[in-house]
Amino acid sequence: MYRILALTAKDLRLLLRDKVGFFFTFFFPVLYATFFGFIFSGQGGDGPGIKLALVDEDRTDGSRAFIERLRAAPEVTLVLARTDGSGELTREDAVALVRRGRAAAYVVLAAGFGDRADQPFHGGPLQLETGCDPSRQAEAGMLQGILTRYVYQGMQETFADRAKLRQYLARSMVDVRQADELDPAARAALNLFLPAMDQFLANLPEGQDSLAGFQSLEIKNTDVARQRRGPKNPFEISFPQGIIWGILGCAAGFGISMVSERTKGTLVRLRMAPITPGQVLAGKALACFLTTTGVATLLLTLAAVAFQVRPGSVPLLALAVVSVSLAFVGIMMFLSVLGKTEQSAGGIGWAILTVMAMIGGGMVPLAFLPAWMATVGHVSPVKWAILAIEGAIWRGFSATEMLGPCAILLGFGALFFLIGARAFRWSESG
Amino acid sequence: MLRLDGLRKSFGSTCAVADLSLELCRGEVFGLLGPNGAGKTTTVNMVVGLLAPDAGRIAIDGGGSPAEASVRARIGVAPQALAIYEDLTGEENVAFFARLQGLSGRELTQRTAWSLDFVGLTDRRGDRAKTYSGGMKRRLNLAIAVVHDPPLLLLDEPTVGVDPQSRNAIFENIQRLQNDGRTIIYTTHYMEEAQRLCNRVGIMDHGRLLAMDTVEALIRDHGGMSVVTAENDAGLCRVETDDPVAELGRLQAAGGLRIFRLDRPDLEAVFLNLTGRSLRD
Ligand SMILES: Nc1ncnc2c1ncn2[C@@H]1O[C@H](COP(=O)(O)OP(=O)(O)OP(=O)(O)O)[C@@H](O)[C@H]1O
Ligand SMILES: [Mg+2]
Repeated sequence: MYRILALTAKDLRLLLRDKVGFFFTFFFPVLYATFFGFIFSGQGGDGPGIKLALVDEDRTDGSRAFIERLRAAPEVTLVLARTDGSGELTREDAVALVRRGRAAAYVVLAAGFGDRADQPFHGGPLQLETGCDPSRQAEAGMLQGILTRYVYQGMQETFADRAKLRQYLARSMVDVRQADELDPAARAALNLFLPAMDQFLANLPEGQDSLAGFQSLEIKNTDVARQRRGPKNPFEISFPQGIIWGILGCAAGFGISMVSERTKGTLVRLRMAPITPGQVLAGKALACFLTTTGVATLLLTLAAVAFQVRPGSVPLLALAVVSVSLAFVGIMMFLSVLGKTEQSAGGIGWAILTVMAMIGGGMVPLAFLPAWMATVGHVSPVKWAILAIEGAIWRGFSATEMLGPCAILLGFGALFFLIGARAFRWSESG
Repeated sequence: MLRLDGLRKSFGSTCAVADLSLELCRGEVFGLLGPNGAGKTTTVNMVVGLLAPDAGRIAIDGGGSPAEASVRARIGVAPQALAIYEDLTGEENVAFFARLQGLSGRELTQRTAWSLDFVGLTDRRGDRAKTYSGGMKRRLNLAIAVVHDPPLLLLDEPTVGVDPQSRNAIFENIQRLQNDGRTIIYTTHYMEEAQRLCNRVGIMDHGRLLAMDTVEALIRDHGGMSVVTAENDAGLCRVETDDPVAELGRLQAAGGLRIFRLDRPDLEAVFLNLTGRSLRD
């Protein structure tokens, strides 16, 4: 053990002396986490969330109610008026705003929106006309989800109010009668359903306005993550990502240092020393582990002190960090067998890590990525690493929920480590 | 102390070491002399367990194989290819490898200081190795080999590029180690070094040990004759002889010996005679 510690201490000392390595391991993650934290929080006067130019061409109670709901939505910041204060946005204004990058997307509530919104069973689907900055596809995807959610929320309110609902049913029955083009079968069904529903509402005992029966049907938009509250602040997202970058830096750095031990000849000396190959690898692995956990601790401390990031559970966070570190120790070992020279190992290593980060949500949070990418992300340890860390910080994971990602991470770590250790070339030529 | 029996090692079609047998006693300095590619480094690497021989046996200290860590602890190696951490200071380099040998505490400090002094790097011990000159790195490489005071030392061209003054100091230290009973294998191209340091010398070429004996015996047996070049009344003459003193007497007697030059055979000549090639080509 003394000898393993000597190896580890040597590696840590070398890391501290390697300015580039040190930068990527410690400073870059801090920069990343704070920078993107501020970006996500839409610093500089903009509200949080996606900036959305909204044009109301409908100007009905329905459209206004929808706008009010969006205004209250934390996910978007609405721009409704021209910047010079000369009135509400027109369609042209909105398009121009997006084109100039002043808004991520625009939405037009065309004439008839309010009516449609009030008649979910009839008259074709509710249509919102949206346009989006092509360079901000991720936000477009997210926007679609957000808009759908608030449209549904409007319907929910309708369903929850007996008087409103009966009013709506009455209007619908008139509509059905007047709609000549309606399919006979659909007309028959509606003629049966709408009056029956109205009857049901009429017979409901007084005071039961909240319609307990409907409550359970309420379309819930809770996120998959069983959020108690969701990330409280954007730093809860940017810091896990920063930690990932620090850990990727460690894995790459130590992986390259294994190669450089071989090319510089020091590996030969290690092999001549009275230590086993296992001890040599263990020393390197321990140094890598200590550095990754160190980076994580540093960032989490900074997040807590400077950005009010309060983990939901500190023990689970520790478990997550340890699992993530172990996974990347394995990946480090794997990276060390990918190149003969430091340059090639570094190049190939970073290429792999970058892909892992990209599909795993280390660059853009998975929530902003297209669905197929989130699925592909399952194969990336980065995805599970972020999930585990976020699970402990704001997703409110229970211990059992935490076991899943942690087990997957340890599996990744063991697999990569075994492959790396087996393929490791101990000498320059062999 | 060290016994090699029929060692063989090939790399693909290259036979690096062919049927090498050798026995070293405790306290002996053995010089392994040979041109580039003779198989010296390959031999050293097999002795220290870096390479597994294709055939043959290595017995250290009465039977131990270098595959065992405890046996490797009894060997100190200065590899031909420098093996130091450029971003550590000289002292940190030596101390790190000393820790790998299990040294700690006071002993660690003392041995580290001792071996830095051994190679004359005490003044520069706090500087990073990458700021060292080539010769200094070579000396640091040697310091690491001796730090744990191993009974068997394998020094593979330990003084390449080291200036004459430092080299002299190192030789004196090596001689002291020998007097303390350390066994040393010393590979070199420099016959002066071999002549000065080694009790016995093995001449190696193409993986084979062509001859092995004390320096005097090798020169006597394989060096050929001395050459006397002289000028006397009869003019300039060049004579090959086994007995240069007698030859000079004869020239003197012939009258008017004005100037002469005596070329005694050396290891270079031994090598030339054994292989038909020069040692350094
Ligand atoms: N790893 C290797 N792979 C292939 N061939 C090798 C390897 N190591 C040594 N050889 C070959 O084995 C032979 C002996 O090499 P070795 O390094 O032992 O010579 P040496 O006597 O130490 O030479 P030098 O004086 O140049 O150090 C050479 O022909 C060399 O090309
Ligand atoms: Mg050599």
